[in-house]
Amino acid sequence: MSRSEGVTLAGVVKRYEGHLAVAGVSLEVPRGAFVTLLGPSGCGKSTLLRMISGFAEPTSGDIRIGGASVVGLPPYRRDTAMVFQDYALFPHRTVEENLAFGLRIRRMDKPAIRARVAAMLEMLGLAGLGGRRVSEISGGQAQRVALGRALVVEPAVLLLDEPLGALDLKLRKQMQAELKRLHRELGLTFIAVTHDQEEALNLSDFIAVMNAGRIEQYGTPEEVYARPATRFVADFVGEANLVPATVEPDGLRLEDGTRLPLPEGGPGAVRAAAGAAVTLAVRPEAVEVHAAATGTRPGLAARVEEVLYSGAARRVIGRTAAGTRLTSLQPGAAAPPERGSLATFSWAPAASWIIPA
Amino acid sequence: MSLRRLLPSAGLLAFTAYAALIYLFLYLPIAVIALFAFDSRAISGLPLAGFTTQWFAAAFADPALAGSMATSARLAAASALLATALAMPAAMVLAWFPLRWKSAVLALMLGPVVLPPLVLGLGLVMLARAAPGMIGEPAIIIAHATMTSSYAALMLYSRLLGFRRSYIEAAMDLGATEWVVFREIVLPLTAPALVAVFLLAFTDAFGEFIVAWFVAGFTKTLPIVIWTSLRQVISPKINAVSTLIIAATLLLSVASQLWILRQAGRARES
Amino acid sequence: MSAPGPAARRARRLAAAGLAPLLLWQCLFFLVPVGILAVISVWSMENYRLTPDLTLANYTAALGNAAVWRSLLLSVRTALFVTVACGLLAYPIAYFIARKVGRRLRLVLLVAVVAPFWISIVMRIAAWRILLGEHGVINQFLVGTGLIEAPLGILLYSPLSTMIGLVYAYLPLYVLPLYAAIDRIEQSWIDAAKDLNAGPLRAFWEVTLPLSLPGLVVGAVFCFIFGLGEFVTPALLGGGKQLLLSQIIQDQFQRRQDWPGGAAIAMVLMAMVMGLLAVSMRWLRRASGERP
Repeated sequence: MSRSEGVTLAGVVKRYEGHLAVAGVSLEVPRGAFVTLLGPSGCGKSTLLRMISGFAEPTSGDIRIGGASVVGLPPYRRDTAMVFQDYALFPHRTVEENLAFGLRIRRMDKPAIRARVAAMLEMLGLAGLGGRRVSEISGGQAQRVALGRALVVEPAVLLLDEPLGALDLKLRKQMQAELKRLHRELGLTFIAVTHDQEEALNLSDFIAVMNAGRIEQYGTPEEVYARPATRFVADFVGEANLVPATVEPDGLRLEDGTRLPLPEGGPGAVRAAAGAAVTLAVRPEAVEVHAAATGTRPGLAARVEEVLYSGAARRVIGRTAAGTRLTSLQPGAAAPPERGSLATFSWAPAASWIIPA
Repeated sequence: MSLRRLLPSAGLLAFTAYAALIYLFLYLPIAVIALFAFDSRAISGLPLAGFTTQWFAAAFADPALAGSMATSARLAAASALLATALAMPAAMVLAWFPLRWKSAVLALMLGPVVLPPLVLGLGLVMLARAAPGMIGEPAIIIAHATMTSSYAALMLYSRLLGFRRSYIEAAMDLGATEWVVFREIVLPLTAPALVAVFLLAFTDAFGEFIVAWFVAGFTKTLPIVIWTSLRQVISPKINAVSTLIIAATLLLSVASQLWILRQAGRARES
Repeated sequence: MSAPGPAARRARRLAAAGLAPLLLWQCLFFLVPVGILAVISVWSMENYRLTPDLTLANYTAALGNAAVWRSLLLSVRTALFVTVACGLLAYPIAYFIARKVGRRLRLVLLVAVVAPFWISIVMRIAAWRILLGEHGVINQFLVGTGLIEAPLGILLYSPLSTMIGLVYAYLPLYVLPLYAAIDRIEQSWIDAAKDLNAGPLRAFWEVTLPLSLPGLVVGAVFCFIFGLGEFVTPALLGGGKQLLLSQIIQDQFQRRQDWPGGAAIAMVLMAMVMGLLAVSMRWLRRASGERP
């Protein structure tokens, strides 16, 4: 579809009765990309989506779709279509009538509407369900109808508000693949909102991680997962061990005096002048645990607090003398350390990175 | 069987017996009117003298009675239509728009509901002194529209609070303007409530006596005719008319309320 | 505060357009008539002519009049009695419908309770006359079965018949909010109380009753307010030996032609009604389904 457009947010602020819901967001959504706004509830991601669709107006800042500002335009004048969290399928209309709604509003002639709706039913695997009332279809089917109703009007931007939130786990996996396929085939700009990090990582070309009305990090799923820019992102997307450290001329000094080489890269590395306090981050998958005496790599000594077996992997949780919590997640064939024993938690320096303290 | 096993059913029995008594209390007067409407005695009383339908025929042959019924129906239809039309837009605004003076507006809506009708009637009489031409049918329509539009607005407001906002947003998102949203989404989904509210307003206006009596002038509505006849011995013709009207009232209010309640049930399911 | 955007301005225009017809209507035909009464209540009557004035004489006359006080107290007492009686009668019925019967029957029973409320007041009164009169159905039945020897005269045209008529009128009105409140109580809350070893009565006292309080209050407020200003029922069933406030007002206006005097008493009645309403507004909004 050639009508696909990019979306630009410039310094968008939304204030509700003194409360700052969105505290200055600038974001470039490339044309044809699948961008996810990821964050906990109340972080401002839904407000942002509602401002793009026109249900809320920014207090200040600009929103442009395809280069033209849409601020002040009512929802029905914007070339966006939204998939609602509760689907909002019109209960007094059939599946077909729901799909045809937007086309009817656009005064398309009847044969053309019928053809488009039939094609959409086919594409979503809903052929034969067109005459059903929306109360007579399953949750997964309702989700597809909601998607189809938005797609059939060929919007420049498709907005998805927690699109898979109401589905059970198995259906959610299935629909993730389906969404990915639709995005690939249609080449449309998708902007989704979710609090589910796995969904965001699976679906998106770019993820904007939001917290307290701001974007903490904007990047590809790989960037966001492998090199989170802040403590919040490191903690919210996946799990991370966060160890306080001080930068020294020849490397890093950890809380107990252990010295490590300075990892390359990482958003904190830029400002890592000698003497600066930083945080060393490392994913649990990269952390190995050894009995205290047998360690070959430098690491942190910690008392083992909990050993949890989960089939595919074994999780070992320890706490250092300074109180830092460390987690290791390793496919566990080797004999685990005993609870209460002293062990060394170590990792390859390249697997770690530095973020601001 | 032990006493413990019997206790719950004894409780239920007591409840059922009590309920039966209450329903008897509520429907005894209605049953009595209907009974005497079909009894041939000219002065209603026991024992019954025999079955007849002559009072119905006599009632419709009585020009004053039949005429007042037609007048009441006409005026009630006009005021109910007016009340519903005034109430619906206001209810939508109250339910869906942020309003700074919402409490004040709600209080103003509640005013005519709780104001003693006698006071409203006297007030309207005073107002009509400024426009004596209004006395009669226009004043009755105005009075009833005032009384019913306020609770019509409150009832619709209460219904619309449960209306899913995302239906409206989805329609707007697909290109529907406010007016199209109203026509395509809001109206079809609230039609049962609107019909029910109209029917209640109609029923209320049809039977309202005191305010109409104050501003009626020479207009005779059915309640005014009945009131006049209450000063004498009640004619069985009145019983016949009342039976018909009560049957219609019960039918209308049952139908409209069942409609509302069933709709509410369906909305909860989806 | 920044200037409202075009969307906010549009929303404001739409809101104004939607509210304006009803608000204007209610101002013209509700506030203005009441306002006129308020104005007249400080005017004076000279030689049977209304004369613009600014005097509290009508109020002092009304409040200095023992008959007015008697009727005021009688009105309050009547309204109070009707409220309590309706509440006591309505609670078990509302409870029965909400908790003791199946889904389908529930709607039928509820509607059957409310339906008589919509019957025209003059027809209801005609029915009670036939039932309660000296030669009415009840007396004939009681004499006929030998329970009493002579017809009871106090059944009609007495405070008793007024009460019966008023309870009949307002019972449905009380059941409705009570039912709504009791219906909203989850069975699991009551089960939880019983699970924590509360007996059925204790569970009712600790869970059901407090949670149905909004319904009780709303029903009571409306019963009391309506009872306070009731006119037709006492006028036609009460026999006119003891006058209620509304009857005194009507008497002032129509028989004595003392409009300022009547208007002053009407203002007193209205102040009582509106004061009660203002106090209970919070409960009304909560019971109307609005989130607090």
